[in-house]
Amino acid sequence: MPNPKDFAILFDASRCIGCKACQVACKQWNDLEAENTKNYGSYANPPKLTAHTWISMRFYEGLRPNGDPYFDFIRVACMHCTNAPCVGACPVGAMAHREGGVVTVDERTCIGCRACVQACPYGAVHFDEAHGVVQKCTMCYDRIAHGDRPACVKACPTDALTFGSYGEIRAMAEERVRVLKERGHARANVYGLGELGGTHVLYVLTDHPSQYDLPKAVREAEKRAAAGWLSTGIAAAVLGAGLKFLVERREALKGGGQ
Amino acid sequence: MITLNLPNPIGEEAWGLWIALYFFLAGTTGGAYLLSVLFYEQEMVRRSALWAFLGVVLGSALLVLDLGQPLRFLNLFLGGLHPGSVMWLGSWFLVLSGVGLLWVYLRPTAKGFQQGVAVLVALVVGYTAVLLMQMAKPFWNASPLLPWLFLASAATAGGALLQLWHPDERVSRLVGVAALVEGGVLLLHLIWTYPAAAGAILALLAGPLAWVFWGFVVVGWGLPFFLEKRNATLAALFTLVGAFLLRYFVVMAGQV
Ligand code: SF4
Ligand code: SF4
Repeated sequence: MPNPKDFAILFDASRCIGCKACQVACKQWNDLEAENTKNYGSYANPPKLTAHTWISMRFYEGLRPNGDPYFDFIRVACMHCTNAPCVGACPVGAMAHREGGVVTVDERTCIGCRACVQACPYGAVHFDEAHGVVQKCTMCYDRIAHGDRPACVKACPTDALTFGSYGEIRAMAEERVRVLKERGHARANVYGLGELGGTHVLYVLTDHPSQYDLPKAVREAEKRAAAGWLSTGIAAAVLGAGLKFLVERREALKGGGQ
Repeated sequence: MITLNLPNPIGEEAWGLWIALYFFLAGTTGGAYLLSVLFYEQEMVRRSALWAFLGVVLGSALLVLDLGQPLRFLNLFLGGLHPGSVMWLGSWFLVLSGVGLLWVYLRPTAKGFQQGVAVLVALVVGYTAVLLMQMAKPFWNASPLLPWLFLASAATAGGALLQLWHPDERVSRLVGVAALVEGGVLLLHLIWTYPAAAGAILALLAGPLAWVFWGFVVVGWGLPFFLEKRNATLAALFTLVGAFLLRYFVVMAGQV
């Protein structure tokens, strides 16, 4: 669980209008270059995060089983996980938690192995080919460390984004879900409380997380690695002993028959 | 559409040819050493230790080349302890097994020492699978079978390598059994991960990676069975090709 005093961001999908002000503000504050992209049939652009796009909006539209139309937006960026797989996978400690629970990469020590890219369940870290290191959302550490809000939060015109301490943000999220439920959003929920040890970015959703392509019940990376080591040990023992036994027993049988 | 992930000197995000080639080199030469320790005496163990040493050194060089900042590779060893990172552990396994293998080659060593080095070599072969399992890619992590697949493939390919310069009835039988295990494990892995990684598996069976997958099945796996009795050298060569194709499609399919 994050410390209640940690930095945190709340994204409230029920207030978001999909204007992408956050996406533009991030580009500007962090000096991220523009990208050539292709329209692939959604308002989302670019389709995936990159080394130069640290936050982007995704759009979901369609009809619910009862015929009601829906048009939902979600913010995609680093979730600043407490139990962060990117940090766990980094072999040099370049990807690490800073004070306040924020996960950032140290560009001076990163060796560009891309283990973190493979490890992140949200596709939030990407390789910057020009610099040979990875890049991702820093929660605007250069701003929040000096008492300001992240650029995306400041740019949001509808208060769909809020910045504060984890304790406050979590209480706000839970209160908002209570209100939404009262108003008839039966599936309203807070995302990020149980995922990856609790994320420092919480989402208020009006529908089940899978509706927004958010991974639910992510199995922790270190448990998978532990299972992998165990599996390796068993495999090595079984294969080694098994192959030796098979080959030599047949030899012994043959020898005995002669 | 056929995709081949060619290495890019400036580096690209995906893990591609360099990584697959490294997995292949370490797996094959490491497998040959492991089999030698299981089945042979001093001289063969020493010779296969040299092979495995070269495999580890060459493989490590590929790994370093693949980094976005190759000159910073020393950070792996000087950047503190990160036992939770499979890549960090793997780097140490590589260094330690390299030193051990060189020692086995240069000096007459006791069986116990050779077996100790064999444990390190098995860790080098096995960690590559655990590394993939740590990642957020369902084709790699949805089943615990990747270490089995890589170890069985190391036995097949390592055995094939031994066959090339020291044909032996026992090892030829062993390669056959290991290949059967490998095929079974692969099939099981595909079925097991299908619910979580349907996209990757379709890419293998009928998509952009189909040429690698079926190339492995037909040329690298099936053909050697057929050729075994007729032309053992050719069978061994095809098995080696297959071992590379296997690593390549496993690495690529995870990132579909
Ligand atoms: S969302 Fe991805 S990049 Fe961000 S902390 Fe979690 S694992 Fe790391
Ligand atoms: S790319 Fe950099 S930050 Fe990511 S795991 Fe490798 S060294 Fe760490």
